[in-house]
Amino acid sequence: MMKLISILFKKEVLDASRDKRSVMAGLYYCIGAPILMCVLFTVMFKQMASPEALKITIKNAHNAPNLVQFLASKEIEHGEGEEVKAITLEISDDYQVNMTQGKSATVFIIADKSEQKLRASINRLERNLMLYNSEVASLRLVARGIDPTIARAIDVQTHDQATPTSKGGFVLGIATLSIIISLFYAAMGMAIDSSAGERERNSLQLLLSHPISTTHIVLAKVGAIAGFSIIALILTTVVSKFAYNMVPWEMMGFTVIIDFTFIVTAILIGLPIALMSASLLIFISFLAKSFKEAQSYVAMALFIPVMMSMATTYDIATDIMQWMPIAAQQNAMIEIIKGNAIPVTQLLLSSAVTLGLFAIFTYLSSRMLKSEKVVFGL
Amino acid sequence: MIQVDNLYKKIGEVNALDGLSFTASDGQITGLLGPNGAGKTTCLRTVFGLLQADKGHATIDNIDVAKEPTKAKQQLGLFPDPCGLYERMTPREYTQFYAQLSGMEPKAAAAATQTVLEKLQMLDIADRRCKGFSQGQRMKTALAQAIVHKPTNIVLDEPTRGLDVMSTRVLRDLLLMLKAQGHCVLFSSHVMQEVAALCDHVVVMAKGKVVAQGSPQSLCEQTGKTSLEEAFITLIGTDEGIAA
Repeated sequence: MMKLISILFKKEVLDASRDKRSVMAGLYYCIGAPILMCVLFTVMFKQMASPEALKITIKNAHNAPNLVQFLASKEIEHGEGEEVKAITLEISDDYQVNMTQGKSATVFIIADKSEQKLRASINRLERNLMLYNSEVASLRLVARGIDPTIARAIDVQTHDQATPTSKGGFVLGIATLSIIISLFYAAMGMAIDSSAGERERNSLQLLLSHPISTTHIVLAKVGAIAGFSIIALILTTVVSKFAYNMVPWEMMGFTVIIDFTFIVTAILIGLPIALMSASLLIFISFLAKSFKEAQSYVAMALFIPVMMSMATTYDIATDIMQWMPIAAQQNAMIEIIKGNAIPVTQLLLSSAVTLGLFAIFTYLSSRMLKSEKVVFGL
Repeated sequence: MIQVDNLYKKIGEVNALDGLSFTASDGQITGLLGPNGAGKTTCLRTVFGLLQADKGHATIDNIDVAKEPTKAKQQLGLFPDPCGLYERMTPREYTQFYAQLSGMEPKAAAAATQTVLEKLQMLDIADRRCKGFSQGQRMKTALAQAIVHKPTNIVLDEPTRGLDVMSTRVLRDLLLMLKAQGHCVLFSSHVMQEVAALCDHVVVMAKGKVVAQGSPQSLCEQTGKTSLEEAFITLIGTDEGIAA
């Protein structure tokens, strides 16, 4: 039985590796996805981070020379030209009057808070205004002979325990998403070609007329596709390793480092997923009546693993998701990059479920190949 | 030996096989003759085990195809319609793959492939990928695949379609040689000359049933006609679907 599967497997590998279009599509993914991620991260970081010297528009600056000076000491200044962020600090006309009388003086921050890339800068401006506020208030209390600490009922001190890497949760999610998804997308073309394509070219009929069981055929196909998926995973991680070096991580205060150990563990974690994904792709392709139909069905079905992975990335329903196949494996990859312990129970359970799905899809495909309707695409 | 016994098969609303029975013996070339849509391909596909008969059974060397498909198919060489080539493989790789699949060891398969490629005079295309092959080259490749492992029973579905005169002669010689070696050769065709020239036993079928069977000569005598073509038309009662 193993001999027959290995003969069939060799044929599948030979045939698929000569399918230039599918190989190229896979390569585009493996090389393109990590590079695209890096470009995305770089642009995102540049927009999200508040520049060291923040230039904003300050109106009526002459009304509040002290405040302007204070902000300048924190590198927030009025500026002109392109570097200026779309934030306006407007000082009210009665600012000086109220200030000297010890009343509340009004300043306006005019900005679009829904704008992601301004958020960090607005927060920084607000934080510094609050700082100035408490400084002036303290001075006022001292002038009245009152200890300023009386106005500070609780003294909040936050000890940030986040390590530089753990801060980048979302970014890590996206990075591991691209690795997991490579197992589904890189060999997609090959999977469709070796199943729906084989049927369309009529070679499936001849294959089935030989003294072999349909399980042999399906296992050989799944094995070959999963093999290509693993190669895609290795390529994606290796390309990521080099591409991520070019991302300006220092802007965000954390780094994503993909090292050799991670690549090896990712392959081990990815193996069951590769088998499951290959058997799923082949099952769906045989379910469809034609090559074209298979392409659209596969695209739809691949939405599910992408959603699983997305849920992990966006931290949706983490309590449940951490046990689910794909999500749990991705979570394990994230923990490895963060340098934390791997959630072993979750990983083992979800890997077992993944392998179970592989067995189910393989069984269903081999059963389908016994049906005339499927073989002749009726 | 291939035996088909009282086969019934309904495809959609059509009774493709309607109580079909015949025997193709070893050391004989049996021709399955019938107009388009007579059920020839359906019958052969049932013999391959690709289709399951609603009733009746097909046996190869007395092994029921439906009950023990793997064992029954061990002694079967197939030339299907359509050929089912792998466009990205060369005839050598293709033939060798099927030889191994039929149970040959890699070395023996390679040697047998070389022999059959020589016999079919296709060494010039043996290591070119099948993509872009002419119909004749495709047919030869499929034929090499069908006979490489020297099965006792060889089933061919319209093997002469698209072959030029030279290739047809090669095929004819080959079938006669297989017959001389004691193989059971069963082929379907609607080309009269082919059947008349080659077959020891002709099974004329129409609408999924056997209309008549016997040697070409006995069929002529039976109908009182001089040529097989005339005899055939008399037997099926129409000239629909006959290639000259």
